[in-house]
Amino acid sequence: MTLNGRKVAADVTPRTSLADFLRERMNLTATHLGCEHGVCGACTVIVNGEPVRACLTLAVGCDGFDVRTLEGLLNDEIMAALRDAFHHHHGLQCGFCTPGMLISAHDLIRRGKASDDREIRQGLSGNICRCTGYTDIVTSVRKAAEAVARSRDATTATQA
Amino acid sequence: MCCFWAGAEGHGETPREGRDVKAPAFDYVRPTTLGEAVDVLAKATAAGRDAQVLAGGQSLLAMMNLRVSSPDLLIDISRLDELRAVADERDAIRLGACVTHAAIEDGLAPDPSRGLMPRVAANLAYRAVRTKGTLGGSVALSDPAADWVTVMQAMDAAVVLVGPGGRREIAAVDFTTGLYETARGRDEIIEAIRIPRLTDAARWGHAKFCRKSGEFATSIAAAVTDPVRRFARIVLGAAGRPPIVLQQASQELLGGKSHDALAHAADHDIAAHSEGFDDYQRSVHGAMIARAVSQVLA
Amino acid sequence: MTHAVAKSERGVGARLLRKEDARHLGGKGQFVADVKIPGTQDVAFVRSPHAHAIIKSITVPPDLEGNVFTARHLPRLADMRAVPLVNGFRIAGYPALAKDKVRFVGEVIAACVAPTRAEAEDLVSQIAVEYEVLPPIVDPEAVLHSAPSLLHEGWPNNLFIERVFQGGDVDAAKQQAEMVVERRYRMNRQAAVPMEGRGVLAYRDARLDELVVYDSTQVPHIIRLGLAEVLGLEERVIRVIAPDVGGGFGSKARLLPEEVIVAALGAELDHPVRWIEDRAEHFLASTHSRDHDYKITAYADAKGMILAVDAELIVDAGAYALWPNGPFLETGMAARNIPGPYNIRNWRVKSFTVATNKAPIGPYRGVGRPGACFAIERTIDEVARRAGRDPLEVRRDNLVTPAQMPYMTIANLLFDSGDYPGLLDLCARTIDVAAVRARQKQGEPDGRLIGLGFACYSEQTGHGCGEWVSRGSPFIPGFESCRAQLMPDGTLVLYVGIQSHGQGLETTLAQVAHEELGIDPAKISVRHGDTGLSPFGNGTIASRSMVMAGGAVATTTRLLREKVAKIGAHLLQCDPSEARCEGGAVHGPRGSVAIEEIARVAHLRMEALPDGVEPLLTVTGTYQPGIDTGVFTFAAHAAVVAVDVPTGAVEVLDYGVAEDCGTVINPMIVEGQVRGGVVQGIGTALYEEIPYDDHGQPLAGTFSDYLMPGSAEMPAIKIAHTETPTAFTEYGVKGMGEGGAIAPPAAIANAVRDALVSIGAEVNETPITPRRVIAAIRAASKTS
Repeated sequence: MTLNGRKVAADVTPRTSLADFLRERMNLTATHLGCEHGVCGACTVIVNGEPVRACLTLAVGCDGFDVRTLEGLLNDEIMAALRDAFHHHHGLQCGFCTPGMLISAHDLIRRGKASDDREIRQGLSGNICRCTGYTDIVTSVRKAAEAVARSRDATTATQA
Repeated sequence: MCCFWAGAEGHGETPREGRDVKAPAFDYVRPTTLGEAVDVLAKATAAGRDAQVLAGGQSLLAMMNLRVSSPDLLIDISRLDELRAVADERDAIRLGACVTHAAIEDGLAPDPSRGLMPRVAANLAYRAVRTKGTLGGSVALSDPAADWVTVMQAMDAAVVLVGPGGRREIAAVDFTTGLYETARGRDEIIEAIRIPRLTDAARWGHAKFCRKSGEFATSIAAAVTDPVRRFARIVLGAAGRPPIVLQQASQELLGGKSHDALAHAADHDIAAHSEGFDDYQRSVHGAMIARAVSQVLA
Repeated sequence: MTHAVAKSERGVGARLLRKEDARHLGGKGQFVADVKIPGTQDVAFVRSPHAHAIIKSITVPPDLEGNVFTARHLPRLADMRAVPLVNGFRIAGYPALAKDKVRFVGEVIAACVAPTRAEAEDLVSQIAVEYEVLPPIVDPEAVLHSAPSLLHEGWPNNLFIERVFQGGDVDAAKQQAEMVVERRYRMNRQAAVPMEGRGVLAYRDARLDELVVYDSTQVPHIIRLGLAEVLGLEERVIRVIAPDVGGGFGSKARLLPEEVIVAALGAELDHPVRWIEDRAEHFLASTHSRDHDYKITAYADAKGMILAVDAELIVDAGAYALWPNGPFLETGMAARNIPGPYNIRNWRVKSFTVATNKAPIGPYRGVGRPGACFAIERTIDEVARRAGRDPLEVRRDNLVTPAQMPYMTIANLLFDSGDYPGLLDLCARTIDVAAVRARQKQGEPDGRLIGLGFACYSEQTGHGCGEWVSRGSPFIPGFESCRAQLMPDGTLVLYVGIQSHGQGLETTLAQVAHEELGIDPAKISVRHGDTGLSPFGNGTIASRSMVMAGGAVATTTRLLREKVAKIGAHLLQCDPSEARCEGGAVHGPRGSVAIEEIARVAHLRMEALPDGVEPLLTVTGTYQPGIDTGVFTFAAHAAVVAVDVPTGAVEVLDYGVAEDCGTVINPMIVEGQVRGGVVQGIGTALYEEIPYDDHGQPLAGTFSDYLMPGSAEMPAIKIAHTETPTAFTEYGVKGMGEGGAIAPPAAIANAVRDALVSIGAEVNETPITPRRVIAAIRAASKTS
C-alpha cells in the first residue's frame, strides 16, 4: 500500500486489522483503538481519500490502496488549520480521541460540511470524546473551517 | 447489533462470545470477477467450510472482532466492478450490491426515490462507516434495525441473487425471513438491488427513533405512495423483528384516506401482529408511523 | 496562605494555551499501548462467565503450560485487601487470579500469554474451566432481608457494612413539620468509559534491578505501594510509569487484578508482558460506579423550609472491596452530601453497603455526590411543588447564605466561603428563565413539552489530613509534593506527585511556577506520573491537584526564589534586602542578573556563591492547605429540556452553569473541565447504564448497548463564573475537576418534571430513558 505517501509492503495474517498493522507493524501509533467495533471513532484514518474505521478494515483488504494517518497529514492545509484551531480553542484534553477527531473534522471541511455548529456536531457524531464535552471541539472545527475559507478567498483574490 | 450476552446457565462451558475484540483466524481470498467469487463460495460451501462474503465489513468485521461470528474463509467482493455497477433501467434503478451508503448519500448513484434514499443514507451510522458499508451487505445481514432493510421493502425493491445455478430475483418483502435470516442460499451472493423508480407524483415519509445519532434505531417507519403505479406501502422496522408491512394502513394510504384513518388502520395492523408489543413500543412505533404518514400527506 | 495576585499574561489567571497539545496534535501522544519494548508478548484473560460459582477444575492443555497462568502458577501473589479504618467494615481478600470461587461475571481466572493479543485470545478459548454454579446475589435490597448464598466466607451476611449517619434530632424535628415528602430515587450502575481503557506493560530492567510497570493509572505511587504489598517486593525495586493516560475519571485510581497479574508476569518471565484492556473488558470488569438507591423523607414547613431529612441509602458495591479504600468511601460521601448546600439541621441516613455478584465499584467523577445531589435536589423540587411555590425560590430559601459562612453542615462538612444564592441567581440569568417560561407558554410546533430544572451542589475539594483520617482512609492523601529544580542553564523542571490525564497540569503548574519565578512557562517542564522521577505523591483524584500540587509548586518555587535572590544579591554586590526576583531576573539598585546566570553559578561556578549558600538550586517540599476540611466549590446548574411525549425522548436544549471555584489559574482549562463534567453528567442522566439480569449477567457490553453522549445530542454549555479566593490555599484556588458531573442528573430530572407538570409525571431514576419517561407518564395518568 501507499502509506503516508510512501510505498510499503508487508506480509500479514488475514485477520490483522488495518489499525493493528499501522500501530504494531508500522509504528504509527497516532491511530488509537477505543472499541474495535466501529462506534467510538478513535481509529479513523483515510483510505483512498475517504475516512474509514481502521478497526473494521482488514490490512490485506487495503492492498494497493492509499492510506493516510494523522502522521501523514500534519502539514496538509486543512489539517494545519485544524491543529492550530484545536490548540487555540482547547479542543483536546487527554488527547486519546484527538487523532480520529482530527481526521473526521478534516473530512468534513474538505467536503464543505462544516458550515455551522449543527452541521459540525452531526458530522462528528461518529467520534466519541469523554473529556471535553464537545463544545470546544466544535468551536475549533468551526474556526478551522473559517480559516481555510479565508485563506482560499485570499488566494482566489490574489489570483484574480 | 445483536445481543451478545447469552445467559450462561449450565456447567463447564466457557461462553466466549463478545468478550474479546481480536478476530479468530481465517483465510482470505479476493476473487477478481463475480463468476470467480460465486465459484469460490460454492466450492467452499460444498466442502463444509464456514465461508462468508465480505463486502464493506462494517457489520461482519465487528461481529468477528467480538468473536460472535467466526467464519474460516472470507471472500472479499468489495472490489468487484460488477457489484459496484449502477444501471438505469428506465422504470427502475439497479444498484450493485457493493454501492456504499456514502455513494448514495453523496448522490453519486442515480436516485429512484426522489430524495428518500440519500436522506436515509446520510443518517445511517457514521460517515467513516458509510464509506465502506454497502447496500447489499446491509440487506444480506438483515439486522432488523438496519435502515435499508425497512426502506427497500417500502420502495418495493427486489434483491438480485447470483449463484452456481444462475440468477434469480426475490422481492425485498420476501427476502428477509427472520432476525438475520434471509432467503439467500448459502452459495448465493447478492448481486444488486433493483428499485422501482418513483414517479413525479409519488410521495414518501420516513421517521426513525434513535436515542443517539448513528446508533441503531429502535423504530423506523417508511411510507411510500405512488398512485400512478397504484402502489402504496407503509413499513415498520427496527421493531425487534423483521420489518412489518402495515397492510391495512397501506391500503388506506393508496385509497387516499385521511391521517386519522391511516393512524387507526396502523394501530390495527400493529395490534394484529402475532408477536405483541408492550405499551412503550406501541407508543413509539405509533409515533414514527404517524410522523412518516404526516410527511406523505403534507 | 493566600497571596493577592494580579492577572498576568502567563501566570495565574492566564488563558495560557496548553503545552501538552503539541504532542497529541502531532500524533505523538504515548499511551501504554504505544510504548514499544522489544520482545513484548500480549496477555488475554480467561474470565468467569458465571456470576457466582465454585471453580472445580481448570484444565490447561499440556502444550500450553508455560503460556497459561492461574492462581496455582503464581502462589506468592497475596490477595489484595482493602482495609479501611472503619469500625464494622468487613474485610475480604480479593485474589487477582481467582482461587476457589468466582464472584462476578468477568472475574479473572487465568492469564494467557502469546506473541500477539489475537493469539492470546485463541489460547483463552482452549482453556476449560469446570464450575459448580451457585445462586447469584443480584438484588441489593433483597440482601437486606435474606440471601440464597454468601459471597464471602465467614461473613454473617452479604453486607460490607451497615452504618447510620446522623446529626441534630430528626425525630424531634419531624414533630414540627407541616409537610412530609417521601420519595425513592435510583441512580443506576454505569462505567466510567474513558476513551483509553486500562493498560499495563511490565518487564524486568536488569541494569537497574527494577520491575518497570507502565500503567494507565491516575495514582502511580499508590499503585507501586499496592504492587509491593501484593507481589512481596520492596518498593525501591518497582517503578510505575503512567505515560499519557487517556482519561481516568476515578476508574484508574484503584489497584485492579489485571495490574497485579501483568506486573507479576513481568517479574516472573524473561520478556516484557502487556495487557491492553479492550472495550468489552472495560464494561465487564473495570470499576463500575454509581448504583445508589435512596429513600428520602423530607420534613418541611408550609413554605418549604426543610427541617429534617430522614433517609435510607443502599449502595450496591459489587463483589469485592477495591484496594486501597473499599466501597464505604462511596457510601459515606453520599450520606454526608444528602443535606447538600442547604441549611438542614437534622439529618439521618441508614446506610447499607451491599456485596453482590457484580463488578466491584470504584470512584467515578463526583463519587457519592451525583447520587446524593439527585436525591436532595429532586426532593427540594417536590417540596416546592407541594408548597405551591417555584422550585427556584424554595431552593434559594434553603441555601446556606454568605452571612452563615464559614458554615459547618450537620454532616460535618465545613463550607469555607461562597455566595450560594448569588450563584443560583447568576445561573438563572445564563439560561434566561423568562424566555424559557415564555416559550413553555407558547407551546412547541412539534408538540414537545419544554421544561426547566435547577440543581446545585457544594463540592469538597483539596481536603487534607484530618478529613481523610476521619473517613478511615488507610492512606492519607493530605499533602502533595514537588521537587523544583533549576537546571544549570536556568530552565526549570518541576517533578510532581500528581498525574495529569487531560487536566492540563503540565501547563497550569508551569503557570504557578512562572508566577513565582518569572521564568517563561515555555522553559518549564512538568514531570509527573513516574515514580522513578517524582517524589512520593498521592496522584490525581478527589479534585485535589491544583490545590495540592499547585500549592507544592508555589511553596517550593518560592523557596527557590529566595535562594536565587540571595545569590543574585551577592553577584550584584548589594544587600539581600535590596534585591528582588522578578521577571526571570534578580534586580538590585545597580543592575540585574538573569536567573540563567545565577543557575550557572550555582552549578558550575561555586566560588561565586555567597557564604553559607550551598550549590544546586533544587528544593523538594510538601504542601498542605491551611485547612483540613476542604475548600468548597459551589455551582448551580440549569437544564432546559424538550420532552417528546409519544416517544419519551428527552433532548437537552440548553445548559447553564454558574460556578465559583476560587481563584482560577487558567480559565480555559477550568471551562473545559466544567463542560467535560457536564456532558458526563448528561450521560448519567439520560444514557448510561449497565443492567444485570437475574443470573448476574451484565446486559451492556459494547457501545451498541451502552450509549454515550455524542456531539450531536449535546447542547453548547454556557458558563458564568465568579472568583472568590479562599483563605486557605495558595492564590485562593479551590478544586473543581469533578463538579460538572455532579448536578446534571438532578437538573435534568427536575427539568423533565417541569416539562411534564401538566401530566404530573416524575422520573426519579437515572438514566431517564424514553421507556422510563413513558412509564412515568402512564403511571401519572392512572392516578389522576
